[in-house]
Amino acid sequence: MEDTILFLVRYLHVLCGVMWIGILWYFNFVQIPSMPKIPDDQKPAISKVIAPEALFWFRWGAAGTVLFGLILSYMNGYMHEAMTLQRPDIGFGMWMGLIMAFNVWFIIWPAQKIALGIVETDADAKPAAGRRAMLFSRTNTLLSIPMLFSMISAQNATGF
Amino acid sequence: MGKILESLPKTIVAGIVLTILMVIATNHLEDANQSGAEKAISDLQKKMN
Repeated sequence: MEDTILFLVRYLHVLCGVMWIGILWYFNFVQIPSMPKIPDDQKPAISKVIAPEALFWFRWGAAGTVLFGLILSYMNGYMHEAMTLQRPDIGFGMWMGLIMAFNVWFIIWPAQKIALGIVETDADAKPAAGRRAMLFSRTNTLLSIPMLFSMISAQNATGF
Repeated sequence: MGKILESLPKTIVAGIVLTILMVIATNHLEDANQSGAEKAISDLQKKMN
């Protein structure tokens, strides 16, 4: 029974992770580079419709990934060892994932709310908020490369 | 750092560099955390691989 629960938690962790990192890479590989090429009159389709919807699944994907990941590490009995880097193979990945999720909820999402006009602020604040969201989104893209390496190698690789 | 993050290709290269540094740090920490007997077994396993 415990094995079944462990499997389901791991499955949910991976599903949420695909949702989160998939949308992160969509933002960085597709949406941000494409925005300058889109005519001004069509930009609201992205900023008013697609981006807010993507951000919803993005931030809840991040929350789900962290929640199920922490449960998984607790059930497997390595949470403390990983977080104190006594097991650095998975520990580095967990710390990077936590930093990335913090960025999503406490920096990127608040900045995007300003940049996309979801909350009312001065017009002058929008460009700065947009740049802050972009830079932290890029930071997460950078961290996602070693984070995913750590997650996969700790599970599958030997000799690293 | 800002200049790296403004460029997607540079961000990817930085991610790969950080991955290599992480692997080196992981090996270093794992060696430091192992007792003498564990290290001997680990070295033997690496040789067998």
